[in-house]
Amino acid sequence: MNSIFTHSRGHGNLRGGMALVKATWASWVQYRSFFFILAFGWMIQPLIYLLVWTTAAGGKTIGGLNRGEFVAYYLVLILVNQITYSQTNWTIGDLVRYGQMNRLLIRPLSPFYDTLSSEMAGKVVYMIFDLPIVLVLALILRPEMYVTPINLLAFIPALLLAWALRFFWGYWLALLAFWATRADALLALQDSLVFLLAGQVAPVALLPGALRTAAVILPFRYMVGFPVEVLTGQVNTPGLIMGFVIQTGWLVLALVLTAVFWRLGLRRYSAVGG
Amino acid sequence: MHYLRLIGLFARTSFQEEAAYRANFFLSLMYSLLNLGTGVLGVAVLFNQIKTVNGWDFAGTLALLGVYLTVGAMRNLVIGPSLEALAGMDGEVWSGRLDFTLIRPVDTQFLASFRKWRLFSLFDMALGLGVLGIATMRIHSDLTPERWLAFLIALIAGGAILYAILLAFTALVFWGPGVLFTWVFNGVFQMARYPLGLYPGWLRLVLTWVIPVGIITTAPAGALTGITSTGMLAGMIGLAIVLIFASSALFRYGLRHYKSASS
Amino acid sequence: MTVPQITVQGLSKIYRVPVRAEGLRASLKSLIKRTYNDVHAVLDVSFAIESGEIVGLIGPNGAGKTTTLKILTGLLHPTTGLARVAGFIPWQRKHAYLRQISMVMGNKSQMIWDIPPMDSFRVLGEIYSVPSSQFKQTLDELIDLLDMQELLTKPVRNLSLGERMKCELVAGLLYRPVVMFLDEPTLGLDVSMQLRLRRFLAEYNRKSGVTILLTSHYMADVMALCPRVILIHHGKLLYDGELGALAQKMAPFKLVRITLGAENGSVSREIPLPAGVEITQRENNLLTLRVGRAEAPSVTAQLLQSLPVADLTVEDPPIEAVIDQVYMEGGV
Repeated sequence: MNSIFTHSRGHGNLRGGMALVKATWASWVQYRSFFFILAFGWMIQPLIYLLVWTTAAGGKTIGGLNRGEFVAYYLVLILVNQITYSQTNWTIGDLVRYGQMNRLLIRPLSPFYDTLSSEMAGKVVYMIFDLPIVLVLALILRPEMYVTPINLLAFIPALLLAWALRFFWGYWLALLAFWATRADALLALQDSLVFLLAGQVAPVALLPGALRTAAVILPFRYMVGFPVEVLTGQVNTPGLIMGFVIQTGWLVLALVLTAVFWRLGLRRYSAVGG
Repeated sequence: MHYLRLIGLFARTSFQEEAAYRANFFLSLMYSLLNLGTGVLGVAVLFNQIKTVNGWDFAGTLALLGVYLTVGAMRNLVIGPSLEALAGMDGEVWSGRLDFTLIRPVDTQFLASFRKWRLFSLFDMALGLGVLGIATMRIHSDLTPERWLAFLIALIAGGAILYAILLAFTALVFWGPGVLFTWVFNGVFQMARYPLGLYPGWLRLVLTWVIPVGIITTAPAGALTGITSTGMLAGMIGLAIVLIFASSALFRYGLRHYKSASS
Repeated sequence: MTVPQITVQGLSKIYRVPVRAEGLRASLKSLIKRTYNDVHAVLDVSFAIESGEIVGLIGPNGAGKTTTLKILTGLLHPTTGLARVAGFIPWQRKHAYLRQISMVMGNKSQMIWDIPPMDSFRVLGEIYSVPSSQFKQTLDELIDLLDMQELLTKPVRNLSLGERMKCELVAGLLYRPVVMFLDEPTLGLDVSMQLRLRRFLAEYNRKSGVTILLTSHYMADVMALCPRVILIHHGKLLYDGELGALAQKMAPFKLVRITLGAENGSVSREIPLPAGVEITQRENNLLTLRVGRAEAPSVTAQLLQSLPVADLTVEDPPIEAVIDQVYMEGGV
């Protein structure tokens, strides 16, 4: 999967961008184009697959989904992906890399809130770009979606859990960077897994045997694909319950890992003498 | 010839720069392999569900992926890094060091296009050609020498078109923030990883005539599967020549503007 | 009579800058009607420099020095006027011309960052088509003069600022240009490195006859290296000639600083002074007097006799003050 930036360049742009959002909300007009280009970049992959699958489906169905349902799936995916996308890799990673761990020592919760606030700020900006585009695309491409009340009700917790999972999963991986020098490679691997198994290449139901099993077990589907499947009605009731169980399980693990690595990191940092 | 010797020196010097950062090598290796893996799996997942789409089957689409990876590697070998060194985020225009480049007794466009190499891309090119090779083994129709020749012509013409587009975006930097255009282009270019036939009709037209990324990859792969016609090849060559002349002119015009507008 | 190597006649560079207004209303107005201001970066500048000279181009920030330099290196096109350097018109940017000039800037590096300087030199040698024997010979000479043998194998990013400047100078001279343009070469360097570089430039100019046009904010550079200065302010040429002559013209006086020996109530006493001598500064028992140049010796003798002098120095007025005066008066 080609990303627009190489890893190091992406992190640099993002860091600069976030600092700008935080510091100069008033002049956001100027930097809007930068963020929109980023948001556009994240949208490209789902769009490509939307186009490919709908062309492939043609007038028929593939895996039980017709053209309109593929459109609906991917449009929702774009929005869910944006909402759950976590920038902790970059922001926490920078905190560690540039030796600002003393902030963690003095006020353990403040970096957490900082990260959170920059996440929120970023998401608002990106959504300003995404929503109109998705609406326009919906008008052009004519999605088909039947949302039952149960689906809608289940969607909201699924989405929130997905965001939390993606956030904390990214958090502990970023803290891992404090220990492992090859963390960059790990993050690249993570990106690829998200791409394959989270429902971007194809809705999880359409993945071939082994991949589908992997996707159902591993956490990546529950970061993006699962809420999308819930909303578009691709999950039946037993699947829904199963999904929530697995999702919550992974979230708990992510929280534990985050706490463990945080404490380990602090200990190592203060032992080294700051 | 003087210019050939210069290219050799530039490649050698860039290699030294690359080698200065060993950690990057393993990371690049990882990225390349992951990129390959996810690309192939992506195509496999699609064709696991359906046999053909608009005349493109698994083998043909895989061949196209191979072309896409190869073209990407061609770009990242020299013209990408060189133009980037001029117009990119940390580039000379931005940092004000363009003056040094302008003062050299060497054609500026030559310097801007060939100065910086990323020899690791040769590995990426090998991967791309490897995928292409494996895919062509599965292509059921005949692969005559004519088809291979057509493929080569289409590949070179596609590379030339890509160069012209990137050069034009680089030229825009002389007037303003051209970097954004390149980012947008990179996004659109990703569409070239699938054959044009897998996209709806209107998009096919856009990707052929408005932002001709589609033909850069589809035409060479199509040459192997027999979809690309001779007329299309001729059109591609013509387009490549026209675009190179146009973007070179734009580049020189941009340089003149830069020289008269800056202080 | 030889033709000067650098001739500049009536050179002007005028920019039309759109007026950028403040506030919403003004911004909207500017959308409808754009007004422009003319900025004279360089205005009707003329001078001639002979081969082998070292000339200092001085002026405050934004005076037009760098613009003039850029026009002479072919990087900018002038709005009007003529210039000829080494027989070429700079902005035609003929390769034969570019091979004969070099530009070294104190605040920007032309070295490749991550590799040893030797590799950058090699690339430059090829770019400027330097024959390999001449390349080796010139390089050896420069490295010897600058005493930088150990630097050659260290990556440029690991070098100190002073060491990097040495590399920049080598890069600028390895192809033996006939004219070298230096823009703030000693910027940010410590005093001993500044001295060393100045000495190098003077010596290299003597040996090779390279013409040097140098801009600097450090008067020490100019005073040590440049027998001749060209003063530019607001794009206009205000003075062209020897620095010493400028001081003589603008400030034909000397400063006499006297430390009076301490006696009871001596500070409050009226000081008897000869005619034409002014007190410019008085602090406790430290006096600074302004005396005409010619009268300085006799006045000094008088003061030594009539006052309880503990210490006495006679100084030239600081050149910076002189130049400041030129800027303020807009001419000489």
